[in-house]
Amino acid sequence: MTGDRILMRNFDRPDSHTLAAYRATGGYTAWEKARGMEPAAITEEVKASNLRGLGGAGFPTGTKWSFVPKGHTGPVYLVINADEGEPGTFKDRYLLERDPHALIEGMLIAARAIRSATGFVYIRGEYVEPWRRFGAAVREAYEAGYLGQGFDVVVHRGAGAYICGEETGLISSLEGKKGWPKVKPPFPAVRGAFGMPTIVNNVETISHVPHIVNRGGAWFASLGTRTQGGTRMFSVSGRVARPGVYEASVAITLRQLIYDLAGGVTGNGRLKGVVPGGSSAPILRADEIDVPMDVDGLRNAGTMAGSAGVVVMDETVSIPEALMVVARFYAHESCGQCTPCRESTGWIYRMVHRIVEGHGRKEDLDTILDVARRGAGTTICAFYDGAVGPYISYIEKFRDEFEELIAR
Amino acid sequence: MPKLTIDGKEIEVPAGTNLIEAARRVGVEIPHYCYHPGLSIAGQCRLCMVDIEKTPRPTIACNTQAADGMVVWTETDRVKETRRSIMEFHLINHPLDCPVCDQAGECWLQIYYMRHGLYEPRMTDEKVHKPKAVPLGPHVMLDAERCILCSRCVRFCDEITRTGELGIMNRGEHSEIGLFPGRELSNPYSANVVDICPVGALTDRDFRFQVRVWYLDSTKSICPGCARGCNVEVHTNRRRPHHAEGRRVARLKPRYNADVNRWWICDAGRYGYGAVDDKSRLRAPSRREGEAVADATWEEAIAAVAGALERFPPDEVGVIASPRMANEDLLALRRLLERRGIRRVGFRVPPREPGDEDAFLIRADKSPNTLGAALLGLDGAVAPILAAARAGQVKCLWVFDHDLLAAGWDEAEADRALRAAETVIFTGANANATSERADWVLPAAAWVEREGTWTNCEGRVQRFRQALEPLGQALPEWDILGRVLAALGVAGVPPRAERWFRELAATVPAFAGLSYPSIGDAGQPAARGAA
Amino acid sequence: MRTVQFTPEQLAEVRRLQALYPDRRGALLPVLHMAQDAFGWVSLEVEEYVAGLFELAPAHVHEVVTFYTLYFRQPKGRHVVSVCHNLSCHLAGAKTILDHLRTRLGIEVGETTPDGRVTLLAVECLCACERAPMMQVDDRYEFDLTPERVDRVLEGLR
Repeated sequence: MTGDRILMRNFDRPDSHTLAAYRATGGYTAWEKARGMEPAAITEEVKASNLRGLGGAGFPTGTKWSFVPKGHTGPVYLVINADEGEPGTFKDRYLLERDPHALIEGMLIAARAIRSATGFVYIRGEYVEPWRRFGAAVREAYEAGYLGQGFDVVVHRGAGAYICGEETGLISSLEGKKGWPKVKPPFPAVRGAFGMPTIVNNVETISHVPHIVNRGGAWFASLGTRTQGGTRMFSVSGRVARPGVYEASVAITLRQLIYDLAGGVTGNGRLKGVVPGGSSAPILRADEIDVPMDVDGLRNAGTMAGSAGVVVMDETVSIPEALMVVARFYAHESCGQCTPCRESTGWIYRMVHRIVEGHGRKEDLDTILDVARRGAGTTICAFYDGAVGPYISYIEKFRDEFEELIAR
Repeated sequence: MPKLTIDGKEIEVPAGTNLIEAARRVGVEIPHYCYHPGLSIAGQCRLCMVDIEKTPRPTIACNTQAADGMVVWTETDRVKETRRSIMEFHLINHPLDCPVCDQAGECWLQIYYMRHGLYEPRMTDEKVHKPKAVPLGPHVMLDAERCILCSRCVRFCDEITRTGELGIMNRGEHSEIGLFPGRELSNPYSANVVDICPVGALTDRDFRFQVRVWYLDSTKSICPGCARGCNVEVHTNRRRPHHAEGRRVARLKPRYNADVNRWWICDAGRYGYGAVDDKSRLRAPSRREGEAVADATWEEAIAAVAGALERFPPDEVGVIASPRMANEDLLALRRLLERRGIRRVGFRVPPREPGDEDAFLIRADKSPNTLGAALLGLDGAVAPILAAARAGQVKCLWVFDHDLLAAGWDEAEADRALRAAETVIFTGANANATSERADWVLPAAAWVEREGTWTNCEGRVQRFRQALEPLGQALPEWDILGRVLAALGVAGVPPRAERWFRELAATVPAFAGLSYPSIGDAGQPAARGAA
Repeated sequence: MRTVQFTPEQLAEVRRLQALYPDRRGALLPVLHMAQDAFGWVSLEVEEYVAGLFELAPAHVHEVVTFYTLYFRQPKGRHVVSVCHNLSCHLAGAKTILDHLRTRLGIEVGETTPDGRVTLLAVECLCACERAPMMQVDDRYEFDLTPERVDRVLEGLR
């Protein structure tokens, strides 16, 4: 059930990041093909592939591309979200370092589909080596004449803020401001970066596009589930024997991922819980892991596919401590723009911290749950909903661990 | 024009109208903080949520444009519960400063908590602490703990004054309004941020700790600081005279006028009410004999002035009117001049320093009724009148309001003119070096102590209203001049300002068709072409 | 007291970066990185200087500098050691690594050694969870940390 190793096929070659190695394995042939296609035809192929956003939101990619207003005559920007920051996720780091040309080729094709002449690649500021690798690949692509012939790429380093992974927070940061997400509507495809229609896509999402063009949308769709096509790269870490990045069909189950690919549970060897989609995804208990890892499968299981950051916890892990670490993260990364998130992420962290330190009060758990539920869905962006995921799921599914700390 | 339904009421609004404005038109006030009709949309406070049919979750009203067929509900249980939640989020870290906070009584956290909150607080952890009592500039004090980060002040400095002094620094719960370290909030409109701050984060240093707002009365008026005529409210303290250092006028606030100043006022105008309660106020008629000054009654003063006007031939009388006088006052003066055939009259006294002006509200002409005075035909040259006084040709000088010794001409020459005249009459609200040279001083009521109209630089005639009783025996100029007219034998002198205005409308073409009711609160343009 | 000013070459680079964006303000973050590299850290003087290069109100540059974590607003050590303390690193023993560094360096998190060699920070997810616990040392990641590995890395920092 592992499917083709598509995105990761060249990772083991030490020169995989070079133009020579990329071309030797068929690189840029998809771009040659796409150049002879109508932009709308490219979009249709991507729609047919059921490719869904792999950065976190899982939105159908072809549909997103079609939101650019027809008849718009000004610039359209393609923005690549390389601000990987979701705890538990590291796949884009691998792609940037080991196959940067896949992203460039994908960008060329996507740009043609949405009629964009300028692409921005926003790389998180901490990713210095990946930034250098990708920059070198961009220079190679310019020298080889792929870039600079109607499509230019600007590589932009971030400066340390998780919220810049939110697409409109990224846009604000790209515009030289704080990474404050924008009030929607308008949506970026209509009015985005610098006031122009903008499509923001994740690194991995765009890296799939050359394969979709070369082998067809139907082929890609057939690799996955009924509502999501293809493979994706799962970042597996925590208490597993072989942490690392694994590419598999989105139809793979969480159990298969943990036990067949990642070598099973370490610690005391017995699984307690798994975070399936980055820290914002509600936690699953050990009895909930027979679930396909596609967007709809995980949504139906009450969690989310998110960034496919899988963090495995064995029975020796303290869930309250894990929640404290995660709550501290959300408090630190809240951008502060809107009231519910700004004011409650710090408070909730302090309550969880108190509980872990042994100063929890009886009413704390229900206060956290109630405050989280009241704030969910009221904010400018989904960051707070991402915080609410762990707040509620950790307490609801492992309440006895918290209550035990409070009772002491 | 989209037709939509709000709380069951149907309404049609111009395209582009957001739901807060649309709701206002059917009498529904949606609670909000960060929205302000004069500023860009922020969508940050999340308080203005409403339920819209076919939308799964409540949506913010400020960023939603009215659409045809939209059905909006502002008082569903879900909306009410959301408002209660948002109020709680706002108050999590808010310091309970009410007992020492100037905003108490007009604070939108208080008001909305009472209307939409009323929950039992459960935040018993330590609140986030931030700087308190930080002077941002000469007029504005910041308390960063009280700030709800609505960003209205930041947007004001970016979009209205375009000076960009303020920003929101840091992130998360450590977010804080602030200046670039070492700089000041000193643009000429800085205190407007106090008006638009919904809470006590930005407060007025001039008003700080002076008097509680619930002791204040409010009167609609016009700022007299320059020819723009920004609309204001005069807030007076009559109930607690031992507060605010005994000042009767506690503060001015801008009053919305779509055609003049919208929501704004400059700092100079906002703080320009000091003369009203100053020690220099003239409270009783007085007469000078040599070095001695003695109070007189109005009867004595009026009789003396009328007598002087009858005694001197008209050509020996010079009148320096003031562009701060109301249209009603100036008409009364004109009647008096006509009665006696006096032709030497003017009102333009050059200032010592040229006035500052900008492309927004501030005008170099620092008088509120220059255009009114000109329309009333009183625009003669003033310097020749003083020269004639020095030469002994003008023997009786009547000066309204000006300090001729602090003007933009030679002070010694002006002094000689005053000393040369046999009789100098001064009428004004405040004493100055000129009034000290006068033989007769007639105390005038200050602008907040009477009603009248001024004509602004664009020809808009605007009413100012009485907020206080005149100090002592001071009277409005139309009343003083009317009494002199009566003493000269004129019958039917109008007994009220409004009657003077009716006569003005009947006499001067520029004011034809205008009346106090038609002027209302927003003012009315004088007739075109008559300026 | 050194005046804050870019060399002509650096200024040319600033203009080149500004021209890459439809609104030159887009180059603000990259130019602040440049300034930090050139002047060591981002002082208020640097902020004002950069604000001038963009014709931006200094308050808005200050907003940006205080929002992001990678701009140092005080002098930093010759080396910056940032230990991840987020979820997977926490599960892999980040606390032990942090405690070890605090002992070895004799400073608390957020501080710089008195000799100016190392600034120690605790940071959020660096997205290298498969090699936890880990830290970032200047431009590179150091993975699979143990106290011994940490010591070897520290030895290489001058």
